[in-house]
Amino acid sequence: MSSKVTPDSGSDPKGFWSWLVTNKIYQSVFGFLLGTPKRQFFLLAFIPIFWALFANLGPLLKMLDISFYEAYPLSVGKESSYSLAAWSEFFQSRVYYIPFFRTLAFSAALTFSALILTYPVAYFLARHVPQNRQMFFLLIVLIPFWVGEIIRTYAIMILLGNNGAVNIVLKFFGLIEQPIPFMYTSFSLSFGIVYLVSLYMLLPLYSSLEKIPSNMNEAAADLGAGAWRRFWKITLPLSKDGITAGCVLVFLISTGFYATPVILGGPSSTLFSEVIANTFSVAADRWPSGAAFSSIMLITTLTLAAVFLKIMGRGGKGLLK
Amino acid sequence: MTRHTRLIMQMIYWAFVLYLFIPLSLMILMGFKDSNFIGFPIKSLTLDWYVGVIQDMEILSIFGYSFTIAISSTAIALVIGTWAAMLLTKASFKGKVILFALITLPAVVPGIISAISLRIYSQTLGIDPGMMAVILGHAVHSVPFVTLVSMARLNSQPLSHVEAAQDLGADKLVTFFRITLPYLVPALIGAGIFCMLTSFDDFVRSFFLGGYEPTLPVYIFAQLRTGMSPEINAISAVVLLITAVMGLTAERLLRRK
Amino acid sequence: MIKKLITRRKLLKTGAAATTILAAPSIFIPAYAASKTVNVWTYANFLPDDFKEEFERDTGIKIRERLVDDQGKQFNLLVAEANSPTADIVTIAGHRFRQFIDSELVSPLDVDRLKNWDKVNTVYSEADWTLVNGQKWGVPILAGAEVLAYNSDIVSAEEARSWDVIFSDKYAGQNAYIMQDFMSIVMLYLGYDGNMIGYDQAKAAEAVNAAKAFLIENKPKVRKYYDSGAEFQQMMINQDISLGMAWSGPVSKLIMDGFPAAMTIPKEGSYGFVYNYNVTKNGPNSDNAYILLDALLARPEIGANMTKASGFISTFVGSADHLTDIERAAGSFTQEELDALQFFRADNNELKYSLLDPAVEEVKAA
Repeated sequence: MSSKVTPDSGSDPKGFWSWLVTNKIYQSVFGFLLGTPKRQFFLLAFIPIFWALFANLGPLLKMLDISFYEAYPLSVGKESSYSLAAWSEFFQSRVYYIPFFRTLAFSAALTFSALILTYPVAYFLARHVPQNRQMFFLLIVLIPFWVGEIIRTYAIMILLGNNGAVNIVLKFFGLIEQPIPFMYTSFSLSFGIVYLVSLYMLLPLYSSLEKIPSNMNEAAADLGAGAWRRFWKITLPLSKDGITAGCVLVFLISTGFYATPVILGGPSSTLFSEVIANTFSVAADRWPSGAAFSSIMLITTLTLAAVFLKIMGRGGKGLLK
Repeated sequence: MTRHTRLIMQMIYWAFVLYLFIPLSLMILMGFKDSNFIGFPIKSLTLDWYVGVIQDMEILSIFGYSFTIAISSTAIALVIGTWAAMLLTKASFKGKVILFALITLPAVVPGIISAISLRIYSQTLGIDPGMMAVILGHAVHSVPFVTLVSMARLNSQPLSHVEAAQDLGADKLVTFFRITLPYLVPALIGAGIFCMLTSFDDFVRSFFLGGYEPTLPVYIFAQLRTGMSPEINAISAVVLLITAVMGLTAERLLRRK
Repeated sequence: MIKKLITRRKLLKTGAAATTILAAPSIFIPAYAASKTVNVWTYANFLPDDFKEEFERDTGIKIRERLVDDQGKQFNLLVAEANSPTADIVTIAGHRFRQFIDSELVSPLDVDRLKNWDKVNTVYSEADWTLVNGQKWGVPILAGAEVLAYNSDIVSAEEARSWDVIFSDKYAGQNAYIMQDFMSIVMLYLGYDGNMIGYDQAKAAEAVNAAKAFLIENKPKVRKYYDSGAEFQQMMINQDISLGMAWSGPVSKLIMDGFPAAMTIPKEGSYGFVYNYNVTKNGPNSDNAYILLDALLARPEIGANMTKASGFISTFVGSADHLTDIERAAGSFTQEELDALQFFRADNNELKYSLLDPAVEEVKAA
């Protein structure tokens, strides 16, 4: 940075802040705004509460409203009447609740695998890569995500297909006679899905591991603690916030996955998001069912996430203190 | 840790990188295929798809449009997400859990539901479909991620930092900008990149909230109707190249600082 | 060889985009409401580029094209826009007319305003499915069929004469179909009417249950229930499947590209569908919509270009004369095949899909 900056020019951060704090207008305005704890709270709370109500709750209330309609969109001459039919539909057929429970189990398993798989990567990034190179190493794993989900999925198809890259290579080396059918199995499904969630797990893990002071580990080592012991006693507990955030994120997001499972999965792996999407895309008008199913999914996953946060928060620092 | 475990960690990292990059290299390769479809065998190669993409101003303007949306929605999400995280970690008040649930809610609403409900809702508010609506839609989806990541980091901020600043007479606002925000930066960079990615890759919200100008995924979905052509691969490869160059340049600049 | 050049149109488009940004205040007057425009929701490559360029030059009306990729999404979008749609023309498959009509999203077509109406092949313009509530609703533009498509290096034409081949042990694990669409064909295969014309609740349920039971029984033999044409093409190329049920358009494109694929309408029959351009209700510029539709019908080579780009068959009289031999062959059927083909009809859709949608879920969950 140029050294010709004068203290009051405003482009030098230190000068700017001292100028600001001594500025009469700033003092009177913020002196007033920050004057009492009540006002401070209002200043802090106004925007988030407004956003939560206006941008988040508004559309969802609309959805909830639709879920109680008898029919929506309305056909000509039909009056809108309210009914619980869409909600009770869910509990009446295994066609709906089986994919629902399958999705919950799938998401939980996926969350756990993603944690196991990406923890070493995040750990390596945060603890073994020199500070000034971390961003570079992080970017290397981030860059592939700039390719859209669909294109990546098609690339996986030509990688794992019967006439795909893997089978061609295996055949070339004489390892196989007949192609191995990788596609439309739980293998191809996991291969594509881990791709989707690893980022959601990696970033929170990295940011929590990165901030653990390295002298803590050194001190423990000086006291004679072995590598594993140090990991269990220091690193793991201190990265708990990252694990919590990553798991909640991955779990919640994976319940909504649609395109990749639909393309890479086999015939028997319908997930609930597909059921929901079908209520909006097929010929019959079933918006109320779609809205009710989404509400059920939403309430369940949020409850599960809240319970998880509560467990993780007990005795330590949860996200919500 | 021992040299041994370090080596294993390193191998896991590079295996992960390999896993991420193999599909990508296939995609880049297929952009050279002289055919209307991707896949093996490749009978002959051509540069035409790549040359076509670079010359096609329409695709570049679609990329610019998507990128503008990604940047704007991320900026909004960073401000509001951090704000919410501050409220949820620094203040104690009744209904905190409810507010937390409300703030993080959009992360779990399935895309199609959130897209359609936002579309109807914005209609009632008088927001026309188009860029503004898409930016709003993407910001709604992104805020929870910023909030979650920031909260995780704020929770481990040593209180002594803040107290020291306030002992020196800084008011809460100045403390936030001079102490807390810099402490948050690594989390915010991560969250920001993440929000940009989700915005850039989003199809369903962009489709329902957008107008006649397509974002990149909307355009690609429409092209996919007639088949996954090498052209779509070439477009993605060029986008990948542009973003990689931008990311790595930004990293260099940050490092020099 | 594939030739890609910057067309004049693309340069113009870029210029237009730049102007839009410079004229930012004009966003307060929505672009779709400007009087010299026509707003079209359509699939990619349906409107040929040179046609658009010519139309804009001749009439001074700007075509604003919004690309859609699915009937359902288009419907939902139009519903969400309620009484003030931003589209003048939407692309609807004939058998889904009723859904749009019942929700009052499209207006009846005033055929008298199209002086080129007679350029549409009467096979399509006078077909029974075109009349709903006693009125015409759309201009047929492209037609397709649900076909049995196969890799001709592996499956013989003789084997492909019947849908039996999909359920044979010989090709177990090498086939794929779109569940939603295939249900209708299976009903036909089992001797029912997939359109359910004149069926009452009991008869319809019987047909759906029979198809459902049959598909569950054959579930171990299927490789994939897929959704999009592009997926089918890729599965064929990757040799994950050797045969399957597909839309004719994507298969035609595969054949045109030189892949050893073939398609047929098996002797048990199948269903055809026709894409139409429909004029929306309360669209911002309905008058311009009619001008565009009339211009589109004017010359058969426009239809031929639409076929080349989409793989579907043009509905315009004489358009096949403007195709090359391979292009014609890629999308044509013998008389025997055409006799086995019937069109999807919307008459009994409400009953049909109320039974069929849950059945599809049940087969998938089985």
